[in-house]
Amino acid sequence: MSVVETLLVFAVIPLAIVLLFAVLTLLPGRAKKARYKPGQPWQYQPVWWEPHPLHGPAAGNHDDGPKAIGSSVYQEPQAIGSGHGSASHGATSHGSTSHGATAHGATSHGATAVGASAAQPAPVSAGPLGGARGTW
Amino acid sequence: MTRSIEATSHDTATEATAAARTDEAEDGLDTPFTLPELARLDEALTMSSRETGLRFTLYMGDLGQRTRSRAEQLHATSGGDPAESVLLAVSPGQRVVEVVTGHAAARRLPDRACALAVLSMTNAFAAGDLVGGIVNGLRQLSDQAGHPRGLKTH
Repeated sequence: MSVVETLLVFAVIPLAIVLLFAVLTLLPGRAKKARYKPGQPWQYQPVWWEPHPLHGPAAGNHDDGPKAIGSSVYQEPQAIGSGHGSASHGATSHGSTSHGATAHGATSHGATAVGASAAQPAPVSAGPLGGARGTW
Repeated sequence: MTRSIEATSHDTATEATAAARTDEAEDGLDTPFTLPELARLDEALTMSSRETGLRFTLYMGDLGQRTRSRAEQLHATSGGDPAESVLLAVSPGQRVVEVVTGHAAARRLPDRACALAVLSMTNAFAAGDLVGGIVNGLRQLSDQAGHPRGLKTH
């Protein structure tokens, strides 16, 4: 067995096997998003999620107020405390912009900022509020 | 921009009905979460709201200097009936989480239960797990609030 053969068998082949398994295990788990670490700044837009309504807009009832769409990713309007920005999605062309009280907040999508100046829901007092606060 | 995305993707809108699901979250909006994480949040919010009849909403973003009053402002404009709604406001940049309950919700979710849920959430947040903490906190809150008799969830 020559030196070259020895190196091939005892160094290159094990190295190749190790690399193969490394690639197989590390590639699928690559995080696409930067993971949050405590203490780092949070430079994302404020987002407000709300639950799906019981009978969503796909059921065809357009008439009673803003409905959650899909995964309900709503951005907050710019004015502080001025209400709940509802993303008026592309399907607004068939008349769902006509609700008087619908909040169409400004979103960052150019095509969806329909009626951004429509009336926002007025703040409603919910009586004595409870809750809790925590820091980490 | 959104129109072209919806035209080429899973747009379920018809002439008579609006889209049940749009793809806004995965493209235009810069969210800190991946799609599976967003789906977990979505399911946790929806299921805890349906189970309890309360309205859970989740706000993620900066809360300003006076976090509590800002969270209460947000709660007042959270849509639906604020008395029955519960707001989770998480500000990762400030490392603050606020839970605000309306007065009807507070009867079923006493402050002590909220504090317990907040404690478990902050534990997870301190370990860097935002979504897991929120989902577990929502689970604790909805377990505490329970399922009122006579509530139709379907």
